[in-house]
Amino acid sequence: MRQFPTRFLIFLSLFILNISCNQYRHLKRTPPEENCIEKFKPAFLLEEYKISVDVVGKHISGLLLIKYMPDSSTRIVFTNEMGFSFFDFGFSQDDGFAVYQIVPQMNKPALIKTLRKDFELVMFRNMDRNKTYNLTDSSIVYHAYPQVKGVNYYITDEQCSRLIKMQRSSDKKPIMEALFYDNFPGKSPDSISIRHLNFKFSIYLKKLVPLASQ
Amino acid sequence: MIKTIALVIFILFNLPGIAQYTGYALSNHPETFRKSFAEATASTESIQSGFSQEKTLTMLSEKMNSTGKFWYRKKDKLRMEYIQPYPYLMILSSGKIFVKDGQKENQFSANSSKIFQQVNRILIDCVSGNMLNNPDFQARIFENAGSFLIEFQPVAKNLKELYKNINIVIDKKDFTAIVVEMIEVSGDKTIIRFQNKVLNAPIPDSVFNIP
Repeated sequence: MRQFPTRFLIFLSLFILNISCNQYRHLKRTPPEENCIEKFKPAFLLEEYKISVDVVGKHISGLLLIKYMPDSSTRIVFTNEMGFSFFDFGFSQDDGFAVYQIVPQMNKPALIKTLRKDFELVMFRNMDRNKTYNLTDSSIVYHAYPQVKGVNYYITDEQCSRLIKMQRSSDKKPIMEALFYDNFPGKSPDSISIRHLNFKFSIYLKKLVPLASQ
Repeated sequence: MIKTIALVIFILFNLPGIAQYTGYALSNHPETFRKSFAEATASTESIQSGFSQEKTLTMLSEKMNSTGKFWYRKKDKLRMEYIQPYPYLMILSSGKIFVKDGQKENQFSANSSKIFQQVNRILIDCVSGNMLNNPDFQARIFENAGSFLIEFQPVAKNLKELYKNINIVIDKKDFTAIVVEMIEVSGDKTIIRFQNKVLNAPIPDSVFNIP
């Protein structure tokens, strides 16, 4: 019986912490809007980006090639300036994922999973229309797409005229934010920024001149 | 009969191992080449040149092209300055690596990572002519009328995971590298072609200064 107040206080603290930590709690759940997000979907046909990666104080740069393949999959290849390939990922049409090549130093399941999820968000993948819903406040709309773990949000203005940002979140708070710069319908964005909020990891992509095919 | 079949099978299975390069034949006098090459490289104090780099992604049928300027000074100073598709600078000097990417500058010791140490040595050795003495690789020498092609196959386990082989084409006139070809395990390859070479012209220290 003596332990009751202590247990109650712990429970109360956790309850308050739980409520205060949920950063989406103030938003109102509303039905999804048809055809809002689709118009912001980037078209990566054959693009070469300069990539800059900053991770816990270390900076890596190079070239990132994104190519839409004849089998409707998308390949993403990261090489350094001297041509050495860091990784080659494939994203299939059915939301499948394959690692075609990766250097031993980067071949860590947690890193591959993080990169996969980051790219999936900016490529507008895993968007199940049957599960989607909206969260709204007075001026912005969170278009929510639940994932196996967490939720991907595409955040627009109320009129759906502008994609403000994208978020990967846990159940309660955002863990990564991504932005497009100069994104026009049917094209690929001029720049893309990806920033993790729970550890120092950011990726910045800047489009380069068109590639020469063989 | 069994011996003949065994011999044929042996030859068939070893064909890739004795593969030749188009236009090149396996050199009959590798030791003569090694001697002449060592003499020529001993007298090379510095190299300045332009370069073009072509990365071929086999699976994607795509090429990524870069161009830049290159400086080497005996015995361990190298500067590669990429101009296209965007400015990027790398200086290797006395065991240190300096990288400038836009406004970001990074400096670290080549010895801080074994793989960096090895890649650093490959770069220096490719242009200085010391690659034949690099214990991480096994070399075979091919030649045609105008050039030698040295094929380096990695022996070190960690390099075997990265490179299938590295080929260097050496000009017979001055025994300097014309082309460096790095073939990765995936089949992707990077070809660096050196143009407008200037040998043994003085290069000021400032070119290799790490801020």
